[in-house]
Amino acid sequence: MLGALLPGKTVAAAQKTYTIGTDVTFAPFEFANQDNKYVGIDLDLIKAIAKEEGFKVEIKPLGFNAAVQALEARQIDGVIAGMSITPERKQKFLMSDPYYKSGVVMAVAKKSSIKSLKDLRGKRVAIKTGTDSADYANSIKQKYGFSTVTFDDSNNMYQDVTTGNSAACFEDQPVMQYGINNGMALKIVGKPAREGAYGFATSKNNQALMNKFNIGLKKLRANGQYDKIIERYLGNGSAKSQKAAAGNSQTTDRSFIGLLKANWSTLMGGLRETMVLTIVAIFFATLVGILVGLLGVIPNKLCQGTATTFIYIFRGLPLMVLALFIYTGVPSLIGSKVPAFIAGIVTLTLNEGAYTAAFVKGGIQAVDPGQMEAARSLGLPFGKAMRKVILPQGIKIMIPSFINQFIITLKDTSILSIIGLLELTQTGKIIIARNMEGFKIWTMVALIYLIIITLLTWLSNWVQKKVKA
Amino acid sequence: MSQYRVEMKNVHKSFGDNDVVKGVNLNVANNEVVVMIGASGAGKSTVLRMINGLETVTSGEILIDGEDIAHKGTDINKVREKIGMVFQHFNLFPNMSVMGNITLAPTELGIASKDEAVKQAKEMLEVVGLTDKADAMPAQLSGGQQQRVAIARALAMHPDIMLFDEPTSALDPEMVGDVLGVMRRLAKQGMTMVIVTHEMGFAKEVADRVVFFDNGTILEQGKPKDIFEHPKEERTKNFLNKVLNA
Ligand SMILES: Nc1ncnc2c1ncn2[C@@H]1O[C@H](COP(=O)(O)OP(=O)(O)O)[C@@H](O)[C@H]1O
Ligand SMILES: [Mg+2]
Repeated sequence: MLGALLPGKTVAAAQKTYTIGTDVTFAPFEFANQDNKYVGIDLDLIKAIAKEEGFKVEIKPLGFNAAVQALEARQIDGVIAGMSITPERKQKFLMSDPYYKSGVVMAVAKKSSIKSLKDLRGKRVAIKTGTDSADYANSIKQKYGFSTVTFDDSNNMYQDVTTGNSAACFEDQPVMQYGINNGMALKIVGKPAREGAYGFATSKNNQALMNKFNIGLKKLRANGQYDKIIERYLGNGSAKSQKAAAGNSQTTDRSFIGLLKANWSTLMGGLRETMVLTIVAIFFATLVGILVGLLGVIPNKLCQGTATTFIYIFRGLPLMVLALFIYTGVPSLIGSKVPAFIAGIVTLTLNEGAYTAAFVKGGIQAVDPGQMEAARSLGLPFGKAMRKVILPQGIKIMIPSFINQFIITLKDTSILSIIGLLELTQTGKIIIARNMEGFKIWTMVALIYLIIITLLTWLSNWVQKKVKA
Repeated sequence: MSQYRVEMKNVHKSFGDNDVVKGVNLNVANNEVVVMIGASGAGKSTVLRMINGLETVTSGEILIDGEDIAHKGTDINKVREKIGMVFQHFNLFPNMSVMGNITLAPTELGIASKDEAVKQAKEMLEVVGLTDKADAMPAQLSGGQQQRVAIARALAMHPDIMLFDEPTSALDPEMVGDVLGVMRRLAKQGMTMVIVTHEMGFAKEVADRVVFFDNGTILEQGKPKDIFEHPKEERTKNFLNKVLNA
């Protein structure tokens, strides 16, 4: 009798949701398909395991570095991102049983004469930050006498080699193969090195999730699901089947217009996120900027000191450092996660708010001090004098700065791609990760920014005319 | 009730290391017109601005109608309501019409309703002879007109005391007469006034007392006739020679 009244331990109600970080541009393990849905071996695998073991996953395509940092900060529960199992990583995280065997290969431009590591002497090599391939390249660069240049995602690294800026790049074998299958003008030379395996990572205190992963993986291997997933993306081994598998997620029309059509809704999705970020950030930055700016003109040492310090700190910090600090640094301090959108808005609010505060303060101070004296001599208190006499004049002085700041805010949202926000720039990166069309896609992204900024400028000029009249 | 409108007792003022006012004692009686003269930099403006608290004293005391303006319990805004001030550069609010300038303080401070304030503003504009300029913006007025609006703005608060800091120094010569005319009428009506000016003829005519400032102190004061015709101090003589023969 009592048992019926107690909450039943049903499977559905008890299903726990884990947040899993992945890379954004690591096809075929993870990449966004034409509908901007994340797919790939890693994602299919973790989802199948989740289903098998009765938990839920929320996928966060953060980029490899951001994902690893987020895991360190315990912003997320796990990372599955073609992550090689290494002793260092085992020290920091729990690493699962291997789920894919891979090795580091070297790739060069199709027409390159480079045949082996020996030919790299005096040359520059492109690597991707934080990867095992990068680690490998760094470990042998002394011996073979080459230098390295670092990129944040695979596509930029490939491009550096196809354009001839770098002589070669190092990449995990299946990933490299996928890129070449999809039209990257590169070729693999030499034999795979550092043959190793990919594993799933959790933080040290998350043994429960790790156990579920390992058990689930065993079951998938036993029941054939594992092989099906691999085949879906890499074929059954033959180059032909690889091409067919890759073709599932590709556009056939590779002209500018064709690509624009195929990626239109994805780009517009990115633009929407950029606009939402811009508008929300402008709102809060303006609010904070005006408040801090006003604080800075109150005749009181503490108020002015607070405003000056705020402006000094947040104008001084590079936006990217501030974003990473808030997203991956602050959580370890306060002991709870900061969602990327919130982190992005806080970042922009503090940075743009500091600039706004500086010109609000400057605009008020640019009003003839005789105005304040005249208002006060009539008996108006400070606040009333400020509101009725000084601010209306100061705001006129500030309007051009406000417009300028709005445009800067719009552009600065692109820096938030560093914390994985799917705004326009990040969207561009993701599309390129799939189709390797860097030039055309970046042109599209640049044009979209220019169009929006032009519209914003027109709107501002119109508003400015209205206010002046 | 104190017998003086303004009492300054051993007032000192320094800006940093710079001692600008060094022990000034000055009382202004009701209905009295005091004119302050002296070389540029002598400290006249600073003294005037301390009377309504635009500058704070470094030491000493200033009483308005017997009330210490530096005292914690004193509401400086209330004190300022009864002290009108007119500046050398007019300081009209450029974002408001003439009417807006005059009615702002009375309405904002709840002294008059909007309608009353407008009615009174029209009366004040009549006093200064600018009834037709109510809707003009300050930038559309000549300097002399602007200064008369500034006087009307101060008068709209019905002050007991009016302070003038070189009200005609920034004006073209042909505008000076109109402004002095308005001030002359105010003096005749018994307004208590403290005026800093270099218009010696005007001072001779309207002042009850002339105060000569030199280097942050009052060197000499007395009836206009005595100061202008029989100055006791050598420095006063020199100063008057310079201004009168300029
Ligand atoms: N806000 C200020 N800060 C520093 N020095 C000032 C300030 N106001 C006035 N002074 C100085 O005080 C002295 C007296 O100035 P002021 O009272 O304006 O003289 P006056 O009106 O007689 O020409 C001058 O040397 C001037 O430079
Ligand atoms: Mg002066």
